[in-house]
Amino acid sequence: MTDSYDIAVIGGGIMGCSTALRLAEGGMWPIVLDQGDLGQGASGVNAGTLSLQIKRVKLMPYALRGHRAWEAMGDAIGFRKTGGYTLAFTDGEAELLQERQTLKSEAGAPIEFVTRKALREAAPNLSHKIIAASYCAADGYANSSLTGQYYRGRLRDAGIAYRERCGAMAVRREAGRFAVETPAGTMHARRLLLAAGAWLKPVAAFLGVELPVRVRINTVSVTERMPPLIHHIVGHATGLLTMKQKPNGTVLIGGGWQGRGTPQEGRGEVTAETVAPNLALAQFALTPLKEARILRSWTGFEANVPDFYPLAGPLPGIEDAFVLGCVRGGYTIGPFIGSLMGDLILGREPELPLFDPGRDFDED
Amino acid sequence: MTPLLQNHRSPVQRAPMVSFTFEGEALSAHAGETVLSALIRAVHLYLRDAPEDGAARGAFCCMGLCQECLVLVEGRRVESCRQVVHDGLAVEALKRVPHD
Amino acid sequence: MIDPCDIVILGAGPAGANASLSAARAGARVTLLDEQTQPGGQIWRAKSAAIIKAQPTPESDAGNTLRDCLANSAVTFVGDVRVWQIERTGDIWQVYTVADGQPGKIEAKALILATGAREYVQPIPGWTTPGVIGLAGATALLKHDMTPPGVATVVAGTGPLVFFTASEIRRLGGHVAAIVTPNTRRDWLSVMPAMLSRPDLVRRGLAWIANLTLARVPVLWGHAITRVEGARAVNGVVATKLDASGAPKGKKREIAADSVCLGNGLIPAVEAAQLAGADLRYHPELGGWVPGAMTDGSTKIKGLYICGDGAGIRGAAAAEIQGKLAGMVAANQLGFDLAPDFEALKSAHARAARFGLAMTALSLQKPGDQALTTPETILCRCESLSLARITAEIAKGAESINAIKSGTRAGMGACGGKFCHTAVARMMAASQGVDPADIPPPTARPPLRPVPASVFAEGFDYDDLPISKPAPL
Repeated sequence: MTDSYDIAVIGGGIMGCSTALRLAEGGMWPIVLDQGDLGQGASGVNAGTLSLQIKRVKLMPYALRGHRAWEAMGDAIGFRKTGGYTLAFTDGEAELLQERQTLKSEAGAPIEFVTRKALREAAPNLSHKIIAASYCAADGYANSSLTGQYYRGRLRDAGIAYRERCGAMAVRREAGRFAVETPAGTMHARRLLLAAGAWLKPVAAFLGVELPVRVRINTVSVTERMPPLIHHIVGHATGLLTMKQKPNGTVLIGGGWQGRGTPQEGRGEVTAETVAPNLALAQFALTPLKEARILRSWTGFEANVPDFYPLAGPLPGIEDAFVLGCVRGGYTIGPFIGSLMGDLILGREPELPLFDPGRDFDED
Repeated sequence: MTPLLQNHRSPVQRAPMVSFTFEGEALSAHAGETVLSALIRAVHLYLRDAPEDGAARGAFCCMGLCQECLVLVEGRRVESCRQVVHDGLAVEALKRVPHD
Repeated sequence: MIDPCDIVILGAGPAGANASLSAARAGARVTLLDEQTQPGGQIWRAKSAAIIKAQPTPESDAGNTLRDCLANSAVTFVGDVRVWQIERTGDIWQVYTVADGQPGKIEAKALILATGAREYVQPIPGWTTPGVIGLAGATALLKHDMTPPGVATVVAGTGPLVFFTASEIRRLGGHVAAIVTPNTRRDWLSVMPAMLSRPDLVRRGLAWIANLTLARVPVLWGHAITRVEGARAVNGVVATKLDASGAPKGKKREIAADSVCLGNGLIPAVEAAQLAGADLRYHPELGGWVPGAMTDGSTKIKGLYICGDGAGIRGAAAAEIQGKLAGMVAANQLGFDLAPDFEALKSAHARAARFGLAMTALSLQKPGDQALTTPETILCRCESLSLARITAEIAKGAESINAIKSGTRAGMGACGGKFCHTAVARMMAASQGVDPADIPPPTARPPLRPVPASVFAEGFDYDDLPISKPAPL
């Protein structure tokens, strides 16, 4: 094994792995390094929701192509296109739903508004207190637990080098290439891609670059196996709930309720004060869920920057270094934006424009 | 029901019998014993089918950890090794829901 | 909100109950929690309400004494309560509970974990058949309900528990078809010196064996069950002679039975310690992964104490002492006087642990153990995953327990990995030539026990939902 590569990818999640795959297709020789196992960060612990109804308007073209990428991955990643409902329980929520989903629909998402009667026929177990709902037939989910297994297989099939439990301890620019110090020794590469998710800030700091990355600590919970309760994925107008029943009967519940902890300390922690209303809201929306027992709750770090648009492009001020992360809706968009990133690094024109990490970040 | 086990050699005085049902079958138990204990004495060791492969399962850890002895009581999933029998208790077996 | 109590203790076995007594004696306000109805833990487990009168045993006597002490103390005991989450804000611990379908929260300045142990069972073909129960599980059934596990039982496993269980089954009128133990008489001889520290227990053990011999119960030393026969019910077992490595190599023997007790020693229950932030280290002689804790139970984390088998399998006598010490030091840290016998107790701990450690040594894994688990054997009971399925995942590149879990669901089922992850780790260590110390257990996640979703809906008012700023459009 050599220790000199065309590019070192720091971070073996969806972003890093999908970029590496495109780079290898384009003839480059990458190595993917991860501090833990592949796909065990946000890529592997998120709720797996693939919903156009919660994507940003400007990111819709990316999300639509991301959906296609997931559909192509299919069974290997537990993809299911179920259609999804977003629910409103109050007049305020209904108004919010109407306004936001109309804009998303105009941006190309096949979103429609459904009557309460139609909703009750399609999803009889949902609460009768729902006053308005939108539906998107393209929505569904994938099994995020399989991210690591899936990309490990893809990297191996493509002959791409990867190292697990091999995090970057320091990164230097020396003699026209990058030296990445890891527990397994120093790796050298001509180029560098930072795709370290919630850990982007400390990794970029190795090169003296300050990225305005912040982190949310999202909580996800799962129930024991239940009889069929709901076929579609479910969301809430405020975003405070996502829910889906997996083929094995377990129900996965998310909604961005915040746990605590920091990426530097390792994993985040669930807090009772936030997981409880999350689970209460879930059974408020899906009444028979009250019969279920909760087996596990966990958290995942979601990175973002102040304008909530991706960091996807050259790392400011460092030649041959790139960064990809902080993509809102990153699970959905990841496989697609990774291939765009690969094209950029290969010197090709990406199909859709990327997002300059050197832009001014306006707090508002 | 005829208990298959002989009277205990070491004299044990037990609470009076009460009636309960498992899958609709009338069984008796000493008031206050666990559902699991009563089912074992009635030689009902097979409690449910494993959700993935449908294989028969019964109680295993007997201390509320392994979740193998789950049964349904009033629609709730409870561990039969922790659920106490009282008169009239209706216990149902968990039904397997096969999936794709 | 109720004022925080001084000390909250999880687990009312020998360690936790004694911790509560010594802390209360020092003047601390103590709340003692257990998921059983009454204190005693598994070893001194109280009888169910269905048992009105029964012949006393040393275990029931010890348990009754302890329960009397607690009843006459200032300790607040809460039974039938399950802890699902542990958090900390500033210097105050928050312990979240469920009791009778209702949520609860207890706040305390110090947290003592005395969560005890659970059983390790080396997976063998047919161990998921109804009628096969854990060996420690059988003792719970025998002590609590005084019910034998079946009509004709094969009692199999390591350490002294097989002889205790077989004797109890017979005492309650059951029939023991055979005792099958991987330990040899030589194994027992090697722990004799340590056992002599407890002549009372040695005498009891010898009485069990003499009784079983008189009753002509076959004892197969140096054997293991290699197959349980029957699909929906146990018809019998195949026992096979083990070679020096512990692998089944010798003569096979078929034994008819309708029930089997199976156990290969105890492992510390460390999930609560993990949630509380304790670091774990690997000590096979203590049962595997144990939280770092001193003789007096103190840890690196302020206000956190861990004692008893949950800090390493040292047995009940050591647990009692470590519990007392933990209660004393926790109270002392809160400003109460240290009991005068603190130092004397501290020096008594090692001696008290000698017997328990010798018993743990009888369950140390051997290289040949892995040969008992055939490729078709179910490893993860909840998800019906065979050894072959796990091995295939490793062949595809999974390098850690977490990666195996994500890829196969081993440990994602209802038991939360409590009955598979040790087996998976031992298999990985053996097949990959990795030191088990390099295969850390998976991240612990709440809830510590399954919690009915309805518990979280208590007091929920939709109008109280936080109005968060809508996500950016």
